[in-house]
Amino acid sequence: MDIKKNKFYKAWFKDAWPYITGAVLLSVFQIFTLAATGNPWGVSGVLANWGAWVYELVGGSVDKWYYFSSEGAQRTLETGFFKDPGTMRNLGIIVGAFFAVLMASQFKIKKLKSLRQVIAALLGGLLMGYGARIGFGCNIGALFSGIASFSLSGWVYALFLFAGAYVGSKLLVKFFM
Amino acid sequence: MAEYELDCMGEACPIPLVKAEKKLAELNVGDILIVQIDHSCAMKNVPEWARKEGHNVEIDEVDDGEWEVVIEKMH
Repeated sequence: MDIKKNKFYKAWFKDAWPYITGAVLLSVFQIFTLAATGNPWGVSGVLANWGAWVYELVGGSVDKWYYFSSEGAQRTLETGFFKDPGTMRNLGIIVGAFFAVLMASQFKIKKLKSLRQVIAALLGGLLMGYGARIGFGCNIGALFSGIASFSLSGWVYALFLFAGAYVGSKLLVKFFM
Repeated sequence: MAEYELDCMGEACPIPLVKAEKKLAELNVGDILIVQIDHSCAMKNVPEWARKEGHNVEIDEVDDGEWEVVIEKMH
C-alpha cells in the first residue's frame, strides 16, 4: 500500500494541522511548561542567553552587562546551556520542525533570490531580536504568555504588534513588489 | 485561453499572494495562471484566496517542498 495515500499519514504528517488543533496543543503545553519549570513559555529570551554563552565561549564576559545583571539571569547563565529548560525547548522546536518537514517530505534548501532579500532578512532579524529584548519578550513570551497570565502588557503588546505588522506589510509591498 | 507562469520560488509570504493577485487581475477570463511556490504557507493562502474569489484551483506537488498552484480565471 502506498503510504502517501494512507489517511493517517496524510492527517498526521502531510497536511497542515487545523488552527484549532494547534491552539489547543499550545495551551496544553503552556500549562505543562508553567507547571514543570515555574515560568511561562518564552523563546527569544533564551536566544539572548545563547548569545551570552557563545560570547563566553570565545573568552568574553557579560557579567557587567545591564541586561544580564539580575540574579535570575546570572543563575541561568551559571547553570549552563544543557540544564536550561528554555534551551531544551528551543532545541526541541528546531528538531521537531525538522522532523515534521522530513515526515511530510517537504524539505528544501531555498535559493536566495536577491541581495535585497538577504539584506531585508538580516535587518528584519536584527530588528525583531532587538525589539523583543527591549519589549521584554517576543510574540511568545510577551504576547502569548502575557495574555495567558492575565497580564495587561500582553494586550498592549498585541495592539502594537498589529501596528507593526501593518507598517511592515506596507514596506514589504513597497520594496518587494 | 492562454497559460501564464508566475515564478515565486524563494519568495516568502505574503509576496506570492500579492503577486498572484496582481497577475490574475491582468489575465482574461478562461486564462490559466500557474503560481510556482516553495513556501508552504503560500500553498495555503494562495489557493484559499483564489477559491474565495470563485476561481478554479488545483495544487500540484511537483517536488519536495515545491508546488504549482494552478488557477483558472473564472470571471
